[in-house]
Amino acid sequence: MVIQVQDLVKRYGDFTAVDHLSFEVHSGEIFGLLGPNGAGKTTTIRVIMDILTPDAGSVTVLGHSAGESKSLVGYLPEERGLYRNLKVIDTLVYLAELKGTSHAVARERAEMLLARVQLDEWATCKVKDLSQGMQQRLQFIASIVHDPQLVFLDEPFQGLDPINVERVKALIAEIHREGKTIVLSSHRMNLVEVLCDRVLLVHRGKSVLYGPLEEIKRMYAPNIIRVRADRIPPDLPGVTKIESDDGAFNLRLAESTAPDGVLRALLDHDVDIRAFEVAPAPLEDIFLTVVGEEEVRDELA
Amino acid sequence: MNWRKVWIVARREYATNVRRVGFLIMTFIVPLIGAGVLIFGAFFSGQAEQLGNFLVDQVDPTQKLIGVVDHTGYFTPILPAYREQFLPFEEESQAETALIAEEISTVLIIGEDYLETGNVTVVTTGSSFGAAAVSDSSTVRAFMVDHLLNGRVEPAFRQRAAAPLEIQPRVISSEGETEGEGPWGFVFTFVIPYMLAIFLVMAIFSSSGYLLQSVAEEKESRVIEIIVSSIRPTELMAGKVIGLGALGLTQVIVWMLTAMGFSGGAVGLLAVVGVATIPARVFVLGVVYYLLGFTLYAVLMAGVGALGATMQESQQLAGIFSLLAAIPYMISGFLFANPNALIARVLSFFPLTAPTMMMLRLPLAEVPWVDVVGSIAVLVVSIPLALWGSARLFRVGLLIYGKRPSLKEIWAILKNPG
Repeated sequence: MVIQVQDLVKRYGDFTAVDHLSFEVHSGEIFGLLGPNGAGKTTTIRVIMDILTPDAGSVTVLGHSAGESKSLVGYLPEERGLYRNLKVIDTLVYLAELKGTSHAVARERAEMLLARVQLDEWATCKVKDLSQGMQQRLQFIASIVHDPQLVFLDEPFQGLDPINVERVKALIAEIHREGKTIVLSSHRMNLVEVLCDRVLLVHRGKSVLYGPLEEIKRMYAPNIIRVRADRIPPDLPGVTKIESDDGAFNLRLAESTAPDGVLRALLDHDVDIRAFEVAPAPLEDIFLTVVGEEEVRDELA
Repeated sequence: MNWRKVWIVARREYATNVRRVGFLIMTFIVPLIGAGVLIFGAFFSGQAEQLGNFLVDQVDPTQKLIGVVDHTGYFTPILPAYREQFLPFEEESQAETALIAEEISTVLIIGEDYLETGNVTVVTTGSSFGAAAVSDSSTVRAFMVDHLLNGRVEPAFRQRAAAPLEIQPRVISSEGETEGEGPWGFVFTFVIPYMLAIFLVMAIFSSSGYLLQSVAEEKESRVIEIIVSSIRPTELMAGKVIGLGALGLTQVIVWMLTAMGFSGGAVGLLAVVGVATIPARVFVLGVVYYLLGFTLYAVLMAGVGALGATMQESQQLAGIFSLLAAIPYMISGFLFANPNALIARVLSFFPLTAPTMMMLRLPLAEVPWVDVVGSIAVLVVSIPLALWGSARLFRVGLLIYGKRPSLKEIWAILKNPG
């Protein structure tokens, strides 16, 4: 077990930011800590990183208390920035040294990571001379320069253009392949769900959904099947609504209707079927279903 | 406390700030000014008096011809030594005509009752400034004394009565040792130590100002969250205080070595007669007060720096401390006359004014030891208290982005940090 959070509570005055939250993060997985803005994700991470002290509950990270595991954990915070007047290489070496890495090893790793994100030619330039996209890549490698076992990425796609979103996704996949455990926190659930093995959905400091992503999706399957075909007969039994969508059809089924019955009916009508699948529900839709759509629409916006 | 991490922060703070242009200028410009003053003094000491006289000539109206209307008979005929500067007139109207024609600058009308009253009417054109200058003029005084005593006392007495004081200062310590003799002695026992004290106070503020800047910069650039995920806020604060304290100490040492160099080298350079040394207590206690004063102010600045949302806000918040520390400067005119006055002693025991006040008092007089020990004790006790409060503000303030906490919130943080 990499992280074990038990009954965590964090209050700011009268406001309870984290309300009796419990979860575990397993070794080598990408764990999604998801929820709308203000759900308590960043506060939870700050407590795990020992930046904030909890009011109740316990946190164990890699077998240590939160304060003792700092050097084993990497952190890309939501509120991020770097020393603008410091050289790129010096920034990375300084941050690695603060995590307990020796100067020589820190320099070696910094050079290796800079080459990996195509910033090696900028090593001796000042941070302020880098473009926005370059600074974001530098920020990302700054969180792993000390070779941590566990990495927290808080809103890693915030402020990124589509090209840099893909770059960062590739970097996350890369460090995951190296065996690092990753905790991905975001309010953009649909963007990160493809990366996560397991998720914790939080709302107003409380756990709403928790477990393997596939299981959650199965549990909240929306009874919609997606068919790619030239036509769909209008009077199919058990189908309550048919919508055309980009050369395909979304068929909403009545509650008691099974997908295989619909497939049989389509074949009976001699429909030329090119694709047939049970449509997965986006995580955000599941979240909205669980907490009540009206309640969180504004927060998600 | 992880001292390795403290050291890494301290090293970075020192290395970054020692290259700042402001720091380099401040460190090296002060000795350069000192050297300039001494070199100027050494090469131009002979001409200095002439230069002084020249400058006086430009502003002192009595340096031009002065008319004298004497109704007593004591001041006419004018003695040969004064004939180039004083011109006698029979009538007041004649003198006034000459004054209006700018042939003379001033008219002295010495009435018949002069011996009883000492009244002399001074007539000038323009403002009454000229009349005031006459009363302070050594030439006019010598003219009056010389004529009054002429033929009545010996010339040597007459001369001394006209210029009774030629001051030769000599400063001794409480043990009776001579610390400074002659005009340069005054410079080394008072002027240089006093300047040094002022610069030490400036060093406290520039170093703790760097700390404020460093904290505010890290917060404003948002790099702070990465830093506090790697190191405890108290370790970060300790690293900054040590690094920037060492930076200030570097500056102080450069200044002191320069001052000592001037002190030793000046004997040969200026051919100073007698002893001229900077009192050792000013050096030793100067360093002690610098270290204590810097630590107290740096710790407070760290706490305050973490509260502001921007650099400007943090500086505004820190202004209150600078204002308090400036109080001794505000009363420095009064301190010259009485460095051991009650107000000076009281402010020496108040932690926020103690370092500044003691540094300003030390070169002025022998400060009672109870004040020295007491002020050091007050600072030693205040520092852990400031550390306690600042660490709490620092820890929470660093993560409050975009707004400055209210006084109520600051109080809540002090009672219960995050």
